[in-house]
Amino acid sequence: MLDIDEILKKVQKPAAYTGGEINSVVKDKNAVKIRYGFCFPDTYEVGMSHLGIKILYNCLNSRKDTWCERVFAPWIDMENEMRRTNTPLFALESRESVRHFDFLGFTLQYEMSYTNVLNMLDLAGVPLRSCERGEGDPFVNAGGPCAYNPEPLAEICDFFTMGEGEEVIHELMDAYIEWQNEGGKRIDYLKKIAKIEGIYVPCLYDVEYNEDKTIKSFAPNCEEAKPRVRKRIIEKLDEVVFPEKFIVPYTGIVHDRISIEIFRGCIRGCRFCQAGMIYRPVREKSSERLASDAEKLIKSTGYEELSLCSLSTSDYTKFQELADKLLKITEKEKIGLSLPSLRVDNFSLELMEKVQKVRKSGLTFAPEAGTQRMRDVINKNVTEDDLLKSASLAFSGGWNTIKLYFMIGLPYETDEDVEGIARLSEEVVETYYAVTGGKKRPPNVNIGVSSFVPKPFTPFQWAAQNEREELRRKQKLLKNAIHNRHVKYSYHESDVSVLEGIFARGDRRLNDVLIRAHELGCKFDSWNETFSPEKWQQAFDDCGVDPFFYTRERDYGEIFPWDFVDIGVTKSFLRRENEKAKKAETTPNCREKCSGCGANRLCEGGICSVGT
Amino acid sequence: MSGLDFYARYEKKGVAKYVSHLDMVRMFNRVFRRGGIPIAYSEGFNPHPKISFALPLPVFFESECEMLIFALSEPMETDELLKRFNAVCPEGLKVTGVFEGKANVKDLSFARYFVKVNAPTSEQIDAFLKLDEIVVPKKTKSGIKDMNIKNDIKSISIADGGLLTVVAAGSNANLKPDVVMNAMNKYIEDYEGKSAEYLRLEILNSQMEII
Repeated sequence: MLDIDEILKKVQKPAAYTGGEINSVVKDKNAVKIRYGFCFPDTYEVGMSHLGIKILYNCLNSRKDTWCERVFAPWIDMENEMRRTNTPLFALESRESVRHFDFLGFTLQYEMSYTNVLNMLDLAGVPLRSCERGEGDPFVNAGGPCAYNPEPLAEICDFFTMGEGEEVIHELMDAYIEWQNEGGKRIDYLKKIAKIEGIYVPCLYDVEYNEDKTIKSFAPNCEEAKPRVRKRIIEKLDEVVFPEKFIVPYTGIVHDRISIEIFRGCIRGCRFCQAGMIYRPVREKSSERLASDAEKLIKSTGYEELSLCSLSTSDYTKFQELADKLLKITEKEKIGLSLPSLRVDNFSLELMEKVQKVRKSGLTFAPEAGTQRMRDVINKNVTEDDLLKSASLAFSGGWNTIKLYFMIGLPYETDEDVEGIARLSEEVVETYYAVTGGKKRPPNVNIGVSSFVPKPFTPFQWAAQNEREELRRKQKLLKNAIHNRHVKYSYHESDVSVLEGIFARGDRRLNDVLIRAHELGCKFDSWNETFSPEKWQQAFDDCGVDPFFYTRERDYGEIFPWDFVDIGVTKSFLRRENEKAKKAETTPNCREKCSGCGANRLCEGGICSVGT
Repeated sequence: MSGLDFYARYEKKGVAKYVSHLDMVRMFNRVFRRGGIPIAYSEGFNPHPKISFALPLPVFFESECEMLIFALSEPMETDELLKRFNAVCPEGLKVTGVFEGKANVKDLSFARYFVKVNAPTSEQIDAFLKLDEIVVPKKTKSGIKDMNIKNDIKSISIADGGLLTVVAAGSNANLKPDVVMNAMNKYIEDYEGKSAEYLRLEILNSQMEII
């Protein structure tokens, strides 16, 4: 066990590095065969808020032969102390170096965490490139939403897991024990798991390029590797394990509460949204199971808040029934119930009145675009009338703060669409005065505007991303279009969005850029105080890679780096959707009418149950 | 008939020393819920659990004498409370006793600490305590001010492996032993206390009796 007492006295948040929290799992290291470091490439406060880590920690530790521990990126102050004292990256539970663990598994939740993956490997003393690792080194693997385009990390990770991990993680561990007993080489394990559905081993595939740098061919170089890797799903969520205990941190984290997952997937089909495509098909958990999960977790954690996790709470088929069941529990236990991404109507407002501890805090809406034409382009099936009705309900219910989320830089966007954001926001202000008669305190309409990033496996995967200058021009255009002083405007840095776009649709050649950026000191790129566009520019220059190659518009004929991944939803569906976007035609949601996206192929018998 | 007012003594050691006072409030709230202990809530629009502490403990300090004061919504046996607390407390927290009634903390005036550090000689300590004034910079609400802490130091003596000191504590005057260490470093020639560690041993009333 490393002695970190002295360095902890010098850092801002020492309690993030100690381990020992209630419900953390400590095992006898001599009694297990596998040491697994579950790595979240961001700080403790961010990583501990993530539900996936809790689920897989529980799966792995349910095995007698495996000890899974947590590993987070130390914040800058802690990293400096660790480097000064030659303290290697350690796992929280054992406080031992992860250098000789059997696995280091990273979850990739956002592209801007990639440099942290490298920095963590570096702090651990593990060679950065897969080809530099030898017998006795850990297997470095990755999963999570960004792993659906694994290529920017293909030379760094030994393998990737596509899709939901509850079952495949056991198959990987079983194969490891088998491999250990067989006494094979490192490559033998990789070839062994390449046969498992959902596993991608990059070194078993070769890529050839055309003269214009696009991909000419992408193919396996051995018989173990499959030409297409299909993602894993859990078909029946009621039958899969969910943790009965969450680790309760000593110190505050971003989402410090119980979170239960009510369904996976989304019926909506917004064309910019990657989550809406990669998590298909829709699968719900029963309200009985959810209530029982909630009760167990309240007892084991003592948390004072229960939250629901999904892409769109209101789309749960029997939401009222679920809400009633959960309210019974939360009222009895005197804890709060928080309901994120709830559509605003009479029922939900009444519910919010009941459950919200804090009086009339802000309400959030996500119209995403400012004009009806643009909302039709992105298939966000919300009309101006819907929004103003919801706003007026909220205002008459006593709310006076509303937050609106929008995007700029969307495909097929005109200046009129950008200015439409200002107009729509001002209409919301006017609605407030119409409802309240202007006798009450003035309203706050806060609009948060982010820059659109084209993502793989969306209908907009072919689209060009606006360049930095164009995004800045549109930000300014919007700013000048807002005349009402009750509308407060904030926007995201365009540099970060462009870099995110490069890595989202990147290929294998970005591995060099990433390693160079790491050498130049890039880390925590999603944090304003640490992001350095200059260093990134230098990394691209040093590697002779043109960043604009990745933000350009692409032809339908082009082979994408991620084409070999089968997410269920087909490329032809995405193409159809892109064509409809060009004509501003909408597509009904999955419950109204099946659009034949292809995700049903992942279900038994090819039948996808979206509920009614 | 049993009352609803209780207090518990507990130790805060090891990894728990890194937990701030603010985080302790939230942590105990969860300890009560995990243990199924029926904590009473305040009235009003935003009810909060009736929990308070005798004397906040700074981060990085360990303690053998922390006191949690709380009220229940229904009576419970103290033995049962003790058992439940320790079944659900995280590493580093250990409840050593639970008592019924109101804790007598109004008269809390001093705290005794053990400081694990290289000690000066007893002559040096005597001379230090006889100084006319002991002035150190101290953080206040309006910034850093020079303060004379002489009257807040009750005693300093050499102990096995370090120093024992009794300093003012509570709402009237409050002095932390690390400030005393800073003052000794400043005033005692050729002395530097290195990597001091602090352990609170007792809280005392104005008559120097253990609370």
